[in-house]
Amino acid sequence: MEAVLTRHIEANAPLDLEAYRSVGGYRSLDAAFARKPEEIIEIVEAANLRGRGGAGFSCGLKWRLRDADAPRPRYLVCNIDESEPGTFKDRYLLYGGPHQIIEAVIVSAYALQAEKAVIFVRGEYGKGGHGLHRAIKEAEMAGLVGSNICGSGFDLQMEVHISGGRYICGEETAMLNAIEGLRPNPRHKMPRPSVKGLWQHPTTTNNVETLVNVPHILLNGADWFRALGINSGCGPKLFCVSGMVHQPGLFELPCGTPARELIFEHAGGLAEGRTLLGFIPGGASTAFLLPEHLDVPMDFDPVAKAGSRLGTASIIVLDDTTCPVQVTLNLMRFFARESCGFCTPCRDGIPYLAQILATIASGEGRAEDLVLLEELSGIIALQSFCAFAPGAMIPLISSLQCFHDHYESHIDTGCCPFDAVNKSGA
Amino acid sequence: MNDKLDRQTLQKHLAQLPLTHPERRAAVVPLMQSLQAERGHLDDRGVEEVAQVTGLSTTEVEELATFYSLIYRHPAGRHVLRVCDSLCCSLQGADRLLQAAEQYSGVSLGKISPDGAFSILPSICLGLCDQAPAALLDGEAVGPLNEAALQVLLRRLQEVD
Repeated sequence: MEAVLTRHIEANAPLDLEAYRSVGGYRSLDAAFARKPEEIIEIVEAANLRGRGGAGFSCGLKWRLRDADAPRPRYLVCNIDESEPGTFKDRYLLYGGPHQIIEAVIVSAYALQAEKAVIFVRGEYGKGGHGLHRAIKEAEMAGLVGSNICGSGFDLQMEVHISGGRYICGEETAMLNAIEGLRPNPRHKMPRPSVKGLWQHPTTTNNVETLVNVPHILLNGADWFRALGINSGCGPKLFCVSGMVHQPGLFELPCGTPARELIFEHAGGLAEGRTLLGFIPGGASTAFLLPEHLDVPMDFDPVAKAGSRLGTASIIVLDDTTCPVQVTLNLMRFFARESCGFCTPCRDGIPYLAQILATIASGEGRAEDLVLLEELSGIIALQSFCAFAPGAMIPLISSLQCFHDHYESHIDTGCCPFDAVNKSGA
Repeated sequence: MNDKLDRQTLQKHLAQLPLTHPERRAAVVPLMQSLQAERGHLDDRGVEEVAQVTGLSTTEVEELATFYSLIYRHPAGRHVLRVCDSLCCSLQGADRLLQAAEQYSGVSLGKISPDGAFSILPSICLGLCDQAPAALLDGEAVGPLNEAALQVLLRRLQEVD
């Protein structure tokens, strides 16, 4: 597949406005303004563009859920707060092609008839955020952002918010609070942001990778987009592969590409003599998959059918020198640290789970600890306020199932078997 | 703690307010970032100033300042090295790297080197998993790092200053 989203990505020297236009950039504005907003939503829906931030919800349907006659002002929030361990795809888009993002936000805001757009960038990507800000100023000077864009009568204000830094800010409603200068706790599910979002105005939030597909769909059509995927997947997809592979990296491939091809062809496979223990398919809050799942197409429904989630399509590879208990402990420590602290089951529960896991990992665990982990993870997932804690419980519960023998051997032998193997092997 | 901002500083801060937002408090994060960029950290005076400009109470500003991991309420070194300790970097030796950084520099994580040149902080996933083990030095990506490269980097920081 020819690169679509990464075709004009230049990591160290992103194209400026003139250079981006010379390779066809901003052409989709004409294609958009020639259509009614409703038609664009129909095309995006027909393309079966599903959310690339992790949830996989239909982008067209999400746009439709915000009433066409919703009160003004309406907001579009573009999410570049990628902080999920294993995930770095949006970094490439941000640092390598700010004008592609601006173009995508303009046509998407037009489809939504939103007059204000906020692009939320994680603080660790601050330099990329400043580059994006400069690119917006460049686009404003050229009449591409602001009032009456290209004589279309469409007005759009666009700004960048660089986060103060916390994983929870990537959650849709926490993000809205962060932009408003409130403590970034997630909000109640109802009313939905599409009704009362940023400043209580109708708001649509999309991941940046989702949005950068829109100009290409407008220019080439829904059928073209669907045909780019394979194995039931639609469109191009940015895959991250990292962990115990030769060549970790970002790969733009058809949505639906099997994990085997990603790990063993594109990421260069494992070190010599190593075997695959398993992999996380979609970032830290997705369930582990095992070698038997290598041929599962990396698309939303097939990965769900295999018992996990496509999530951010970020594969973390574990080999036979990796201790799955340590891996799970690392993930739990991440979630314990990043809990926003608003609700007690999450704030106090996840550190407790991490503590129990640390005991098992060091060989001091008891058989009852495994029962406790299972019980607590179920309670925490059910009793917490937002999706953060249930997300954190997924790799834990899955790890206990997939790698049960490893947990037992830590408890039975009173040590981490991998410590001995790695020390003697090293 | 009661000193009011002079008009010029106030104007400068107000000029940074995001124009698209209906309420002044939306400027709280950009203001904290801007004061920190000037002073190395958000000091007590900064908290007062942010409160005055945004209309928030100092307690509310404090609550946000301590919530965000990239806002420092205590002095940090002139250079800040944030070393990722999340899964992909950990698989590639981040834990050993953090230990080595402390041992080599003699400076504990979160503290400032005696000459004020640097602080080393552990960090959650930096989105640099393809360069693991990775770090951010004053916002710029470095990686993959090993112990030798880390030593060179820390030595250079001390020499540059």
